[in-house]
Amino acid sequence: MNLRQTISDLQDYYHLAFHGFMGIFRRPVYWKDTLEQMDYAGAGSFFIMGLVSLFVGMALSLQLAAELSVLGLKMYIGKVVGITIIREVGPVTAALVFTGRVGAGIASELGSMMIGNQVDSLRVFGVDPIKKLVTPRIVASLVMLPALTIVGDAISLLGAWYIAVFVSNQSGYVFWSSVRSILDFQNVFSGAVKPFMFGFIIASISCYAGLTTRGGATGLRTSTTNAVVMSIIMIIISDFILTRILLYVLGYST
Amino acid sequence: MIRFEKVCFGYGSGLILNETSFTIEDGEKLAILGGSGSGKTTILKMIVGLIRPDSGTIIVDGDDITGKSEDALNDVRRKFSIVFQQGALFDSLTVKENVAFCLREYTAMSEGEIDAKVRELLQLVDVEPAIYLMPDELSGGMHRRVAIARALAVSTPKMMLYDEATAGLDPVNSDNICRLIVELSRSGMGHIMVTHKVVDAMKVAERFIFLENGKVVFDGNADALIHSAHPPIKIFVDELRYQPTALR
Repeated sequence: MNLRQTISDLQDYYHLAFHGFMGIFRRPVYWKDTLEQMDYAGAGSFFIMGLVSLFVGMALSLQLAAELSVLGLKMYIGKVVGITIIREVGPVTAALVFTGRVGAGIASELGSMMIGNQVDSLRVFGVDPIKKLVTPRIVASLVMLPALTIVGDAISLLGAWYIAVFVSNQSGYVFWSSVRSILDFQNVFSGAVKPFMFGFIIASISCYAGLTTRGGATGLRTSTTNAVVMSIIMIIISDFILTRILLYVLGYST
Repeated sequence: MIRFEKVCFGYGSGLILNETSFTIEDGEKLAILGGSGSGKTTILKMIVGLIRPDSGTIIVDGDDITGKSEDALNDVRRKFSIVFQQGALFDSLTVKENVAFCLREYTAMSEGEIDAKVRELLQLVDVEPAIYLMPDELSGGMHRRVAIARALAVSTPKMMLYDEATAGLDPVNSDNICRLIVELSRSGMGHIMVTHKVVDAMKVAERFIFLENGKVVFDGNADALIHSAHPPIKIFVDELRYQPTALR
């Protein structure tokens, strides 16, 4: 790996991510593009997010029910599942699904615009490609990933409830009251902060990968793969760092 | 006036332009010829500041554009309109939206005025019936025509830049595009056409530059081009003569 090239790439990425974000506060505002991206990222991902979240919640509930039954602690399923989903699994699952669907889509769309000289056309017309292409995608991700995470959390809990009640024969009332008991500020805040960070990471990395596409179909394949792989790696790493910071800020001893 | 002074540019270790120098006057009708990878498209992109040279100077109307910022380059870009290879239409927009793109971006025209202007431009390039089609529903020839209409909507450029405007088109469509280019230049607007099709170059240009290994190896008129003794140019010019037995 060429160190100079890596540093130069990182510099380019930070430039794009910074200007893409700051574009939110600069004119012109591309409302139509932003709404289109929100529709693609949000409404378009709703079904797949719901499906994945449902099965993640059910699998989690099954695993915990099996283990907690042995210990005679089945009544804690709701509590443990709730904390796991809201604080950790929900945001990360949503981010990974979002990466696979939206991140890959952003990289391939911008990549094909690069190859087809459409981005050059924008520059010739005096339109800032970062403002026109990157900022709407960052905004869409910043808004839609948290929203999808909330929906995904709810569906995961529903799946967990189904398994707890109909497979593990636990009381639904007990399940929901233990879930309700963990819906305090600390847990909700922990789960609510992460999707914003993940959304920004996915959108900025995917836009960067797309806008640095070179060559033909192979270049497009490489940039799409890079977008997905780098986003996943950065989500996992930043999740750990954020968790550490949040636990410290919220006063948990670890 | 555009002047390239000892411009060098390369990707990695490969040199695309090697101390390339030439001057293009306003209103000139120029064709840049050369094989694939000879740097023809790179020159067009450098004129509008999409690519910066590794060394050398590019001067547009007495102004050195080599080190200009993206914002400052916008003033230079307004002097030109470029039609990219394959048209480069925005594939998520209809023909109308493509042509109206800059009108919406930079003018305060009402929807009615934009509609009238778009129709006028599409009539000029003879594709008005395609106004509501998407780019992937257009034929290759229509694609280029819409791209030309879109380029003309930006402003009234002093020079049009065509990047392989007839590549991949059948002879009839290529001829139609060449006629359109000539027609547009009647008002005094110059053009630079990058192509490897010498037949089309002959139709639209009065001056020819031939690039080889990043260097200008020929700069002259049609007569000099046809009679050039330089072997690669002779191969290009052979296209003008029907020689079916040449390879047999």
